[in-house]
Amino acid sequence: MYLAINDLTVLYDRAMVLNGVSLNVAEGELVSLVGPNGAGKSTLLRAAAGLVSWEKETLKGTTSGKITLTGSVIFEGNEMLDLPAHKIAQRGLILCPERGRPFREMTVMENLEAGAYLLKKDGKAAINEALDKVFSLFPVLKNRRNQVSGTLSGGERTMLSIARSLMSKAKLLLIDEPSVGLAPMVKKELFARISEVHGLGITILLIEQDISFAFELASRNYVLSRGKIIAEGKSEELLNDEIIRETYLGM
Amino acid sequence: MLERILINGLVISGTYAVLAVGFSLIFGVAKIFNMAHTVLYMAASYIIFFSLNSLGIHYVFASALAILLTIIFGILCYKFLFDRVKVHETAVMIISISVAIICQELVLMTLDGSYRGVPSFIVGSKELMGVSVLYQHMFVVLGCIITLIGLWILLTKTFLGKAIRAVAQDQEIANLMGIDVSRVCLIAMGISAGLAAIAAVLSAPLEPLYPAMWLQPLILILAAVVLGGLGSIKGSVYGALILGFTETIVITVIPGGSFLRGAVSLLAMVIVLIFRPEGLFGVVFEEETL
Repeated sequence: MYLAINDLTVLYDRAMVLNGVSLNVAEGELVSLVGPNGAGKSTLLRAAAGLVSWEKETLKGTTSGKITLTGSVIFEGNEMLDLPAHKIAQRGLILCPERGRPFREMTVMENLEAGAYLLKKDGKAAINEALDKVFSLFPVLKNRRNQVSGTLSGGERTMLSIARSLMSKAKLLLIDEPSVGLAPMVKKELFARISEVHGLGITILLIEQDISFAFELASRNYVLSRGKIIAEGKSEELLNDEIIRETYLGM
Repeated sequence: MLERILINGLVISGTYAVLAVGFSLIFGVAKIFNMAHTVLYMAASYIIFFSLNSLGIHYVFASALAILLTIIFGILCYKFLFDRVKVHETAVMIISISVAIICQELVLMTLDGSYRGVPSFIVGSKELMGVSVLYQHMFVVLGCIITLIGLWILLTKTFLGKAIRAVAQDQEIANLMGIDVSRVCLIAMGISAGLAAIAAVLSAPLEPLYPAMWLQPLILILAAVVLGGLGSIKGSVYGALILGFTETIVITVIPGGSFLRGAVSLLAMVIVLIFRPEGLFGVVFEEETL
């Protein structure tokens, strides 16, 4: 398996956010992970990208709660939970966080250049090539390249975040709720772009609230509720299952 | 008189600016409120003094040695003290001020409380706009400008610079770009200490050396940094310019009023803060919106 998450458990103090989650993604697949608010979707992605370990490390010595992280995240045959977050990114497993979180005081171009940090040894040509690639995917960013990213609209921020992740040698993108708070038209545009990114051969694990979009894009889906995977299957299978539809998808 | 104010103002603000920028850098990047920042400046000044007098080496080598040793000292302080407690901002402040006072006592113990001086290595002066300006003063102003431009190029044009700014803005996200955040913080500390040493190299011949020489510049750079907006490097430069010129104007305009310089500068800071509590260039944290 390309990405195999096994029995992942995360506790913040005594609150169990993830309770033995296992899922896997094959190379080149686009898999969605859906579920109600507070199900632990973001925590799952953050744990896989090394941010839960990072948080645990940074909070050491404070009075904030204790974080427990067990299980395994295997990517291309290697355990990721033992690695610090920046090393995980170096392997090509990259998280696009919720709301994009661009470096707000930096311009669009500078954000992309920060995203190309891992290409620093590959020279200018490699960076220009990466820039051409993301600008052809997201032409709007090219027009806004000298604009400070804090002034971008919500949709543009998400696009910038995805573009920034693509600047390095991303192989697997974990995209956290890209469409949250976006207008329907922008959403549609964004999903077309995500589909194009997938078309470039990049494997994607996508968290999404808008189930109709997620299910249309993804070949397989997982449903997460209260820290547990409660269903898995192709979109039509899940949509045909009465109980899952009503209880977990609210459709 | 205006020319005098302009030149003296630039000399004083230049040194403050280089110091304030170094303080801002490590605060912005690693959230270290380093009260021992000007102790690094003092350390570099004393290293220059001893290299010149005891080792008898040339000013250039003395300066290089001072910069190198100060960077090492700064990095050691960071690695073994500040980094350990950096989650607690107050602990960082208390530890760094303790470092400052310990250093002051060490200087007092090993030497004594007397004033020492470093000779100017470029002597002479030149008529400029009708005022005679010491070469040493020109050297300070030019050196500060080159240092600040160099820092600006580093931060905006290089990979390292972009990584430093990325870490300053969002440490967590910087990780996702493959940036080693703790290494970048360590490098930022090195640069910050290096800047303090450069300030010493430039201004050592102008300032007397004594064990408490770190205190007055510390208060002024704190004021400059707060005035410019905590964490903003550009703001620190403007803050230093404002305070440096205020100080010069007070000294020049009020005869025998040089004892007032600190008070008036700090008053300028207080007035700005009353009207703009976030400082001139401080970031107003907007509510996170969807």
